[in-house]
Parts: sequence; structure tokens; C-alpha cells
Amino acid sequence: MKLLNSSTVSRNSRLKLGAIIVALAVLIILPLCIESDYIKHLLIMVCIGTILGMTFSMLYSAGLITLGAAAFYAVGAYTSTMLVTSLGLSFWAALPLTIIISAVLSLGFGAIFVRNAGVAFVIITLIFVQVIVIAAGQIEFLGGWGGIMNIPRPDSLGPVEFVSKRDCYYLILAILLLIVVIYNAIYSSRIGRAWRAIKLSPNLAGTLGINAYRYRLLAFVIGSTTAALAGCFYAHYFQNITPGAFAGWLSIYVQLYAVLGGLEFYILGPAIGSVIMTFVPEYLRVVKEIEPIITGLLLLIIILFFPGGILGTIKNPPDFNLTQLKSRLNRMRISKAQGDKS
Amino acid sequence: MALLEIRNITKIFGGLIALRDVSFDVNSSEIVGLIGPNGAGKSTLFNIISGFHHPDKGRILYKDVQINGLEIDRIARMGIGRIFQEPTLFMQETVFENVISGLHRHYQEAAWKALLHTPGANREENNKRDKALGILEFMELSSLKDELAANLPHGWQRVLAIAIALASEPDLLLLDEPVTGMNPSETASMIEKIRQIRERGVTVLIVEHDMRAVMSLCDRIIVLNLGVKLVEGTPDKIKNDERVIEAYLGKQVL
Amino acid sequence: MSPGLFIQLIVNALTIGSIYILMVLGLDIILRGTKILNFAHGQLYMLGAYVLLLFFQTLNLNFALALILSGATLALVGALSYLGVFAVLSRRFTVSTTFSYRLLLSAMASVGLMMILQQGTLLCFGTQERGILSPFPQIIDVFGVRISLTRVVIIFLSILICIGLFFLMYKTRFGKIMRAVSYDPEAVTLQGINTFWIFVSCFALGSALAGLAGGIIAPLFSVTPSMGQNIIFMSFLVLLVGGIGSYRGTIAGGLLVGLLLSFGFQFLGGIAELFVFILVIVILVFRPGGLLGEATE
Repeated sequence: MKLLNSSTVSRNSRLKLGAIIVALAVLIILPLCIESDYIKHLLIMVCIGTILGMTFSMLYSAGLITLGAAAFYAVGAYTSTMLVTSLGLSFWAALPLTIIISAVLSLGFGAIFVRNAGVAFVIITLIFVQVIVIAAGQIEFLGGWGGIMNIPRPDSLGPVEFVSKRDCYYLILAILLLIVVIYNAIYSSRIGRAWRAIKLSPNLAGTLGINAYRYRLLAFVIGSTTAALAGCFYAHYFQNITPGAFAGWLSIYVQLYAVLGGLEFYILGPAIGSVIMTFVPEYLRVVKEIEPIITGLLLLIIILFFPGGILGTIKNPPDFNLTQLKSRLNRMRISKAQGDKS
Repeated sequence: MALLEIRNITKIFGGLIALRDVSFDVNSSEIVGLIGPNGAGKSTLFNIISGFHHPDKGRILYKDVQINGLEIDRIARMGIGRIFQEPTLFMQETVFENVISGLHRHYQEAAWKALLHTPGANREENNKRDKALGILEFMELSSLKDELAANLPHGWQRVLAIAIALASEPDLLLLDEPVTGMNPSETASMIEKIRQIRERGVTVLIVEHDMRAVMSLCDRIIVLNLGVKLVEGTPDKIKNDERVIEAYLGKQVL
Repeated sequence: MSPGLFIQLIVNALTIGSIYILMVLGLDIILRGTKILNFAHGQLYMLGAYVLLLFFQTLNLNFALALILSGATLALVGALSYLGVFAVLSRRFTVSTTFSYRLLLSAMASVGLMMILQQGTLLCFGTQERGILSPFPQIIDVFGVRISLTRVVIIFLSILICIGLFFLMYKTRFGKIMRAVSYDPEAVTLQGINTFWIFVSCFALGSALAGLAGGIIAPLFSVTPSMGQNIIFMSFLVLLVGGIGSYRGTIAGGLLVGLLLSFGFQFLGGIAELFVFILVIVILVFRPGGLLGEATE
């Protein structure tokens, strides 16, 4: 997703810039207009969900599909918690340490996992997140299945004490925006282009000098470390973590955010998906028993009829059953124009 | 020293001997043809040279460096380019974007510089654009530059594949059936292109079934049959060789 | 460890292993034929158990007959799932759709299906566990070792089904076509065979295997709505260990995991599963793609 195009600042660019400024303003003013603590909590979870969704999308951009987005989310949460509660470090010291530790761990595991192609990789990530959850549950030192409570909020930064939900929101918003900027830069760079090539055709990319394994490993490490950062925040915001919080449906929901928003929109897609999946169930007040069925149906409808997600469908309105016909028509058109080189 | 030295390559798949003790050289600026009936092992050899498979026995030397056993991308970066038999393109990108991707390994601008549009980054962007346009023009793809690769008819997809390979600026180009499926005028056009590619300093190793193309294009021809090298020599020599005729038995050849 | 205990653990391992083998063979057939990673596979297993419950307990049919009917029912469910969901999905795909996109979309569709089947079953049948009185409750005496007949029957039935399956896949024309489709669907189409119905058959066959696995195991374990979720995870693991695309690998993987779980639970308790996971990761270090499989891109 290129925010800024070539050297000429076109009207298009100015429009985009304007939209960004408005969006930023809204995001910043939002918590000031909202009374309910619960809604502020939801906003925070939306931000976390967006970050996790973005890690899924980053791997997808390189042609890998992960079902274990929650794995390093958990690793980050537990690492930071351990550093603060057992070693007595301050949140602000634990944060960079958590990042470094997660980067190293994801490099180690990723080196093994990324060697495996498509389907095998999906299963491995699924297993991996389970392993992390079970390990956290079985190891008493990490709190066992009951988890760890009373994790302290981050230490105050000057006048800002992270006691209110509003302050925590600003913290996660800052983290989210930082990640957005970094990710955007990466996607626009040589790395992003290499990922795109690998995703579209690993073989062709190879013959052009692109090492699929190394670039995918890079995606894995960056994505995992980002998830760990989110986990670190989560632990100190929510102030209690249990293995159960990272198990089961979470990794699947993360995927859903990306698909719902639009798979090809690596940053906005997860954001939109996260907003919808977090807020809509609240307002629909769906009976708890029916909820998975509704979610399942929603998933099926999106996949079958609107696979581009919300953004994708807006960009390319669907014409059912005409896709194949269109491509044949296109080929005929080009043949005619070129004097038949088919 | 030859550009490419194939030495005693043997490859076995399951119980099947795909290649047995195949050896030959390819010298700089040559156009060498690799022919043989179906199943002779030609594509396998291409896959081994470009790193998609590792040989069971034998070595391959490129610019005097052993390349068998190296990774695909490493071999590509050393200057070997190839096209595939099946259309292998970045289907969801335009023709122009495809060729730009081919330039990947030669351009290194730092991410932040690109984002801020420093003069250096801009210059590089323009450079790449010009280079890509140049290649498109050379391969006569200019008018199609904004078409999606997936929408191209098969013949043009082949041309695009070669354009992408050229973008990576190889010293050795492996062409796997470049004219298969083309009509006579397209074939003639492609033959001329390949000659021009050689004039630009690229060595070409070409697998083809179209005998007319092979005979008119190649300096030397290697004939494989059932994984074994039958004979090698100039087109005239090959044309009249009994063993070659026998190997093709009944197929429309020369 | 007494020899008696050893034998019992082996029998247990074979029991567990054979169920996983049936499950994963089903998964593999679906995956290889249609390139779909079916996350709803566990739910099909669970439905197989419930359907068996229906035929055997409620309708009081003979066990063998009930089992066959379960298999047939699940084959139908599988076919309907494919027709209703995945066939619709594959119409979107063209030749140029990337593998990762296809995999992702069909996997996600199967996840949606899984959620619906799972919750639907829960709502229909309630959360209570149901037991089936095993039609083979006897304990037999083999060289002084007491083994439950039920387990022996399970192993026997699984072997029978496997033999039937191999006969189908390797000795009949239909089976050969199904295998050909996983290698080269285009070539099969060129022969004048409509690959669409082959895909449906693959899905039906795979689902039937899952249903049979559920039906067979029902007399031994209780039937609960969480059966599906519990088994799918290990099934994927066995798939990975054995290697995707290798039947022999699946059998080897299933037996290996069965042994590990059987002996593991006896001596290590709950941590046993963790060791299986670690084993998988170790195997993957040395053989990316599983023990005997080819992890194709």
C-alpha cells in the first residue's frame, strides 16, 4: 500500500493525506468523547486486534498462512510479565527486552518452521500455538492454568500515569501507529516487493535471485516480534494473563479480521476487520449459544461471495459468474489487437 | 574455459534414470540447442542447472565455479536466467510490473530513502522504469505494458517470460521451449530476437522441439535420448546423423 | 513393567493409532484430491459417532449395519459439504490463482463450516456425554493378559477398512482416477472424465473415513460434542509427522503417535502430548515435509 506516490504530489495524494489527518484526529479525540470505560476497553482491544491481524497479513504478503498468530502474542505477554514480576524490572525496561527475546526466539523457531511449504506450515503454526498454551499451563513457574494476576500497569511517563483506560488507549494507539508507519515503509521497500514476488510465484522469484526462505523468515520474525509487543502491552494493561486467553479461537479470529477487511490490504484490512468483529457482536446482543453459528455463517458468506473482504469488494465490485468469461474476453481482445499471437 | 561445463551428470527419480553421465560444454556467446524425443531428460537438465534439482552424480561448473548443490537464488544471482515450460509469471501484475520485478536484484535503495523520495531514490526509480521500458520495447511488448499477465494469450506470455529473464541481466539464458505453440511468423520473429539477445552478449542454451528453429538458430546442438547424450555437433552434422534420425523414429523432424 | 502391562499398552497404542490412521487417511484423500485442508474433519468424526448412536442405540440395529450406515451417511454429508461450500468457492479460482490464496480461502471456508457443525451439534444434542454399551464388552484372555475385546474389534475393523481402502485406491479404476486427480487434474479432464464428480467423491470418501472412525471408537469412549475439537488437533499432527501425501507415512505416523500417547499417558500423564509436539518439531528439523511425505508447494 503506497501512501505517497512518485515525486509529483498529485491530487490523489493530497486526498489521501487529508484522509489520514482526519482519521488521526478522530482516533486521538475519540476517548475524550466517550464516557463508558467498557467501550474504551473495546477500543483498546480493537487496537490489539489490528496489530495481530497485521502480523497475519505480513506473513500472507509473503505467501505464508499462519494459524498461530497468538503464539508470540502469548510469548510476549509472559516474557514481559516474568521480567517485571520476577526480576522487578520496570515496564519500560521490560519492553525492549521482550522485543529482543521474542526476535531471537522467533528467529530460532522460524528457521525450522519456514522450511516447510504451504500446508505443512499452516499445521505447524497451529500446533505451535497449542504447545505454547499447554507449556504455559503446565509450568507452575509461569502460573499454570490459573495464570498470573496483579500485573502492574506501566510506570508513569512524566505526567501520564497509566491508570485510566484513556491513558492506556493512547499508549496502544501510539504503538499501533508506530507499527503502521514501519510496516508501510517495509511494504514499500525492496523487502515488500520481494515478498510480493514470492507470494505470486516462488519459483519465478527464485530465478530472479530472490531467496524465498530468507525473506519468509524475515516476515515471520517481524510479524512474531510485533505480536510479542502487543502481548507485552496486553499483559500490563489487562493486568492478568491466563493460558486460556491465547488458546483456541483467537488465532482464527485474527485470520478473520484480515479476510473480512480485505486480504490484499495489509494494514487497513485488519483494522476494519478488527473494528467490526469487536463491536458488532456487542450491538447485536446475540445469544451466546448462536454466536459461533452466526460467525461461521458470516465467514462462509464472505469467503464464498465476497472473498476480497470489505475493501476488496469496494475496490472491485463482484460480477458473479462473469470472472471466467471476462478473462476469456480479455484474451480475445488482446489477440485481435496484436494480430493473433495466441 | 567454457562458460558452462556439464560433467557426468546423472539423475535418478525413484527407479527411473532421467539422466545418465551427460557431459558437454557451452561457450560464451554461443547459442546451443538441446534436443531429443520426449522424456530424454532435457527439462530435468535445465532444472539441475538452475538449481531446482540436485544431481545424484556429476558436477556443473559455471564460470569455473561449481554450482550444483547451490540454492536457486544463488545460482540466479551468479548470472543464470531461465524460463519455464509452463507459463510462470506474476499473474496478478501487469506486464510492466512483471519486468520491473525482474530488475530486483540490481537495485538496492534503502526503504526510508524511497519513502522520503530523496533525489537518489527518485533517480533509481526512473532508472528502473527506463530499463524496463527498454526491455519491453526490445521484446515488442510495449503496447501491452499495462495488461495483466494473466490476460495475455499464451504466445505473449512466453515472450513476457523471456523479457523478465532478460531484466535480471543474465550471462547465460536457459530457454525452455521458447517457440513451442507459435505459428511460423511468430517463430521467425522469436528466432530473430534470440539472435539479438546473443548479440547483446548473452549466451543461450535452448531446449526446443521445433527442428527448423533449432537448425537455423543454433551454433551447436546436443542430442539427448532416454537420458543419455547421443551426439553433439553442428546442425549439419546432426541433421545427417543416423542415430538421431533413429531416435526420433517416425516423428516429423527435419 | 510387567509383560502384561506392556501388551495392554501395545493394544492401546494400536487402538489409538488405528483411529488416527483412519482420520488422517481421510484428511489426506481430501487434501490430495481437492487441495482443501478440511478443518471440519473433526466434526465429521463427531457426527459419525452421533449417527452411530442413532442407528445402534435408538433404532437398535445390528452394530455392523449401524456402522456401515454411519459411513454412508457421513459420505453423504461430505458430498453435500463439498457441493454447498467448496464447489461454489472453486468457481472463483482461475488458473492464475496462487496456491496460498486457494489454501487460505478453502481452509477458512472449512473453519466456517466447522463452527456451524460444532455449535449445531451442541445445540441439537446437548452437552451431556452419552455412552454406548459396547456390543463387545468381554475381556478376553491372551496368554494370561486381560485385553478388552472392544479394543481388539476396533483394531480389527480399522485394518479391514484400510484394506478395503487400499483395494479401492489401487486396484479399481475409480481409485486410480482419484489418485490421478491429485497429481494432474488437467490430464484426467483430457481423458474425458469430469473431475468435478471425482472431487465430490474424494470429499465423500474422506468424510466417510472420519465418520467410520467416530463410529468405531464410540463404544470405547463416550460421545460428546467436544470429540471433534479434541481429535482434529492430533490428526493434523499425525498428518504432519507422516508427511502429507504419503499413505505409508500416515500409517507410520499414526502408529508412532499411538505408541507415544499410550506409553506417554501411562508414565507421564498430561505432559505426554507435549512430548509428541516436541517430537514433531524435531522431526521437522531433519525432514521438512514429514517422515515420508513430500510437502508440495
